[in-house]
Amino acid sequence: MQYAIETFSLTKIFSDWWGRDKVVAVDDLNLKIRTNEVFGLLGPNGSGKTTTLKLLLGLLHPTKGRSLLLEGSAADPQISTRIGFLPEESYLYKYLTARETLEFYGRLFKLPAKVRKLRTEALLDMVGLKAVANRHVGTFSKGMARRIGLAQALINDPDLLILDEPTTGLDPIGTRQIKDLIIELAKRGKTILLCNHLLADVEDVCDRIAILYGGKIQAEGNVSDLLRRTDKTEITTGLLSPDAVKKIERIFAEERAEYSISAPMTKLETFFIDIIAAAQQQELPTSGAESKRHISEFLSAKPQELADRQAILDQLVSSGVQQDEPADTVTRQPQPRPSPSADEDFLKGLVQTDASAGSQTAVPKPVEPTPVLPPQPDRNVIDELLGKPASDGDVKENGDTHNA
Amino acid sequence: MRSIWAIAVNTIKQAVRLKIAAVFIVLLLVLLPVMGLKMTGDGTLKGRMQSFISYSLSLMSLLLALLTILAACFTLTNDVKDKQVYTVLTKPVRRYQFVLGKLLGVIVLDAFLLTLFSVVIYSIAVLMPQFIKADNEQLERARNEFFTARASIVPPQPDISAEIDEKYEKLKESGEVPKGVDENPVARRNYRNELSRRIGLRRRAAVVGEELVWEFENVKLSDPKQPLFVKFKYEVAVNPADLAIYSGWVIGDLRQIRMGEMPVTPIYSVERKDLIRTAVEFQVPGDCVADDGYVALAFQNVPLNNTVVIFPLEDGLEVLFQADSFTANFVRAVLLVFIRLVFLAALAVFAGSFLSFPVAVLLCLAVFTMANMSGFINESFEFLGENINKLYYHSLKHIMNLLPEFDDYNPGQFLLSARLISWTLVAKAGALMVFLKSLPLVAFSIVIFSLREIAKVIV
Repeated sequence: MQYAIETFSLTKIFSDWWGRDKVVAVDDLNLKIRTNEVFGLLGPNGSGKTTTLKLLLGLLHPTKGRSLLLEGSAADPQISTRIGFLPEESYLYKYLTARETLEFYGRLFKLPAKVRKLRTEALLDMVGLKAVANRHVGTFSKGMARRIGLAQALINDPDLLILDEPTTGLDPIGTRQIKDLIIELAKRGKTILLCNHLLADVEDVCDRIAILYGGKIQAEGNVSDLLRRTDKTEITTGLLSPDAVKKIERIFAEERAEYSISAPMTKLETFFIDIIAAAQQQELPTSGAESKRHISEFLSAKPQELADRQAILDQLVSSGVQQDEPADTVTRQPQPRPSPSADEDFLKGLVQTDASAGSQTAVPKPVEPTPVLPPQPDRNVIDELLGKPASDGDVKENGDTHNA
Repeated sequence: MRSIWAIAVNTIKQAVRLKIAAVFIVLLLVLLPVMGLKMTGDGTLKGRMQSFISYSLSLMSLLLALLTILAACFTLTNDVKDKQVYTVLTKPVRRYQFVLGKLLGVIVLDAFLLTLFSVVIYSIAVLMPQFIKADNEQLERARNEFFTARASIVPPQPDISAEIDEKYEKLKESGEVPKGVDENPVARRNYRNELSRRIGLRRRAAVVGEELVWEFENVKLSDPKQPLFVKFKYEVAVNPADLAIYSGWVIGDLRQIRMGEMPVTPIYSVERKDLIRTAVEFQVPGDCVADDGYVALAFQNVPLNNTVVIFPLEDGLEVLFQADSFTANFVRAVLLVFIRLVFLAALAVFAGSFLSFPVAVLLCLAVFTMANMSGFINESFEFLGENINKLYYHSLKHIMNLLPEFDDYNPGQFLLSARLISWTLVAKAGALMVFLKSLPLVAFSIVIFSLREIAKVIV
């Protein structure tokens, strides 16, 4: 139950027409991705990220080795029912409308018609494409196609979400939304495997990363561990009086520390989002996707499963087994859901509200123009790991039992 | 099943929205009525109907065949090329469900379009006599020889092998067999074939004053009031001056005469003058058939002719009688077209499961063309030299046998001559083309598609 994805010496060698080996795309890859972890697979172009995903999903056959997804094969419908996949480009049927696209994929999951319809509407709303739901996907911009691609990956409320460069083609707001979404989904107990070469995106959301080059893992570990610098200290405060600055400079001088004091720059991302949010508040029209900042409620962990997982975690913590792996498991508190039927009830409510406030949904919703803070949940986790070294032990024990 | 259906519906949407189907629909909807107006055939109502039905059915069959090939090849190859399979096959969809869904989609689309166009063709055909000024005689002829479904009985081929043996031995004894023929098995076979041809011909030929008699069994009329049709064609040794043959025909249960009893069923005598080398038919009342379905036919070459009259092997003589209605026959003709389309859909899905779009289409078109003239190809191989013949019999013939029998089950040919398409015939066509030839193709395509590395980039 612990590993959502596990590969054993996974190798893929592409050969030419004569059967001669040409390219080693993935080389002896041993990945272990835990349940409810946000894992980033990084690497430059051609490093084997996408090939790895294709091998995991059975779209390519491994030359050697094998892989397990949710402890089974991706070819098994029982397993693939629990997987959501967004390919590197949103390969969609151009002649279907956005709504039909989601309906089609919903049918492939054999969702009951009622649930399918509710989820379709909820997802269209979530990715901000409700206003263009009846337009053919072929007419969509790349970012809009990306959004509908993401929606199709979520239609089955997957336990494991595999996203291949989810933010390509998206504007900074869309990128931001996807990052928020990933964090939110992780909170709800999903496991997420993320492929990306936009490092800033990965840094914000991933618990663990692996850096691929030449089909091999060059570095793997906890994001905070990998990036923590032991030779520097960073102090961030509010605006200080010149007096206070002088005092601090004196302390630094006593410590003989190298330092620099300046007003920090806003991240361009934050700045951009503020500007657009302001524009949206003025209700300027747009032909593109709207920005929404909520997540569809049906995307939830099943309460029973969560309870089970919690129970296992508790057991592992109390068992006090020896540990030899780095502390890299994330323990989140998923939002519990009252009952399985609540999913449907809630969706019903959601759709009804939408229907009554139809005009409202057509207008871009203003985004709160607050400066965007780094994603809270992730920080919490990192803070927790950084600030409470004592808790490392607990988590370590937990991590160890996979091998036991 | 639900995934298969979802994929099938998606395939239909693809064909319709990408306007693959639209082209064919518009083309047919324009051409069919135009054909109904413009086709005149030989000027008679019957001729007009014949040419309309045969051309319209062929055109519909051809266009739908092309649509099937294009749509089925496109839907599979394009999903792989544009990588939509990545999102579909990572859902709980087995590969076989994907292939079957595509196939089902094309077949359902075919069934829908076929129904639509068949209704159009049928309506035009049935309404046409009302819009054309035709006298009663023409109407009667059209009704008897076109708007009907007639079963056909040809005289049974007599077993003449004993006669050949006898003749051969006789010739051998009298030393008339050419030198070397008896020793060489190939030459002997050819010689005997020639003998067989001659004896067969002699049986179908009437010298001046001679009478030929054919006996038919199992002539089961649906209604004894319906007439019996005798269809024949003359071949002659010497062309008569007016290119016509005078003849006397006697039709009925001739057993009654032999036994010297009073005839129970009537025996009809017909005197005619007909053009040579032209298919002609005349009718006699159906009550001449005996209760047990026996009827005999005698032809007398009257001395006036002064030439040998021969009935050609293929279309020399047959007896026709109404066995079913035009409507029922038309429905079965459409079913025959549908069986073709099912085969083509299976073929195209098979080709699309491992080839790129243009190559797959090319393969399908090649098979389609060859299947359409498989009869001609087979015949022409029969005339090849001895050595090539061997090669043909051991390899090519088997390959040719893999082709579907479009030739033998050409619905246009049946409707043109108002010939009955029996359910047995439809079942046989279905068994041959769907079960024997399509199912293995589908099985192959599923195996190929399942084993295939979908995401592999082929350069």
